[in-house]
Amino acid sequence: MSDRLADVPTRPDQPFRLNGRAAWVVGAGRPLGHAIANALAEAGADVALTGLGTDQAERFQVASAANQVWSAGRRNLALELDPSDPENLDACVQQIDAEWGRLDILVNAQDLVFAMPFEETGRAEWDTTIAVNLTSVALSCQAAGKLMARDGFGRIINVVSAPGVRGVANMVAYAAAKGGVVALTRALSQEWGAQGIAVNAVHAGFYEDQAGIGDNAQYVEELRSALLPGALVKSQDIAALVVMLAADSGFISGQTIAVDGAASQRT
Amino acid sequence: MSVLDDFRLDDQVAIVTGAGRGLGRAMALAFADAGAHVVCAARTVAQIDETAALVEQRGRRALSVPTDAADADAFNALAATTMETFGRIDILLNNAGNYATRNTVPLGDLNDDEWQIDMDVNLTSKMYGARAVVPHMAAAGRGSIINLASIYAFAGRKDWYTYFAAKAAVVNFTRSLALSYTDVNIRANAIAPGPFPVSHFADQASVFNPKLAVPRFGQPWEMGPLAVFLASDASAGVNGETIIIDGGGLAGGVTPPTWRPRIALPGGAA
Repeated sequence: MSDRLADVPTRPDQPFRLNGRAAWVVGAGRPLGHAIANALAEAGADVALTGLGTDQAERFQVASAANQVWSAGRRNLALELDPSDPENLDACVQQIDAEWGRLDILVNAQDLVFAMPFEETGRAEWDTTIAVNLTSVALSCQAAGKLMARDGFGRIINVVSAPGVRGVANMVAYAAAKGGVVALTRALSQEWGAQGIAVNAVHAGFYEDQAGIGDNAQYVEELRSALLPGALVKSQDIAALVVMLAADSGFISGQTIAVDGAASQRT
Repeated sequence: MSVLDDFRLDDQVAIVTGAGRGLGRAMALAFADAGAHVVCAARTVAQIDETAALVEQRGRRALSVPTDAADADAFNALAATTMETFGRIDILLNNAGNYATRNTVPLGDLNDDEWQIDMDVNLTSKMYGARAVVPHMAAAGRGSIINLASIYAFAGRKDWYTYFAAKAAVVNFTRSLALSYTDVNIRANAIAPGPFPVSHFADQASVFNPKLAVPRFGQPWEMGPLAVFLASDASAGVNGETIIIDGGGLAGGVTPPTWRPRIALPGGAA
């Protein structure tokens, strides 16, 4: 890397508009990924979408999210993904490049919640939790980063959650994966910053339609009343922060930004 | 209804301290671009008048109110004048700060009066501002307060005490403020900018670390979208947070980003 300073971007007239940008949302078959894909499309981006598996239900949900992108007047591309196969992620990026010739924004919205006392956590559960929440994030960053480096522009946003930044009992495997994403985000910001790629994480509070949390009335009640102020946020609130980071000029990088209603700010 | 509507500030009223120049002016104009009317506060009348004129050029209303950020009464008058003129205060951008009367001062040479004025301007001014606007925001059941911290809240530097201590305190003041008014829908967040050379930082080259992951300085306009995000409903779920905008400096910093080791696994393990 030379000592030459990077070019300074020009000030956009509409700072949150993403028109002409191509985005890829991984985990678009779940409510959070769906909300993010929708928000990116509303802000003007074309959106490619992948779920976390290739079963019928997942494909239906991804198709539904893709349809909403279309309804927002943007191009969509529903891609099938088996997250255990790294070549599949490369193939996704190649298909996006073939269709649109660019990939500007990657959002990793994978979120597979797993909670169990650690002494009861089996090796297979550990492996699956790490594979979906951490390894697939690393692989999609690697696949997308090649294309972004080629074009000298990229915005990568990885969604993490409270257990990735603060201790939460019974979530050791999930926490290790999410904490791994926080560290991966910081490291990638250093490695790719000079190539025009900004890498950030969104620390989402527990959210209302989070599988395993938001659909459990007891946990919802406990989180709302007993545990933390504002601990339950909406997918739309998380999506708005993703839009801000996707549209940013690139000087915000390496950060993990909380959208958790101050839940992590108190003693 | 689009997500972009959440980023609008149409018809809202923002008070911006330190609005006469640099980052404060840039953020004041970003508020105006997003639809807000702007009350421009600072000591130097000619500068806030100029910012106010730029706000009006964008089709919004503006008011310039000469204000000393170290003066509690001045903040109360600022809030009162804003309420008289506009009838509402939606946003307070507590931007005023002085960087420091003198930069590097060994501990034994710290001057009590300088320490106090630097604390007043960089830290206490945030309390004065919040205390003045919170009753009006609480009555309206909504409000967003944004405090200017700094990357110097999260790292130290030899012989440089006051500014660093004040900015770190701003981060934690913001947390307590955020937790105190959730019931009346007032949010408080902070922005911690890194290297943004502006005209009054004459010694920028010696002060700023250019070895950033994003190898350039920030431009004042780049603060605008972040300030608008925190001021607007787009950040409804963000509270008590300090957002760092520093080209990835604090995310790294132990090694320069240009240091690229290659260390294979032992014995060619894979």
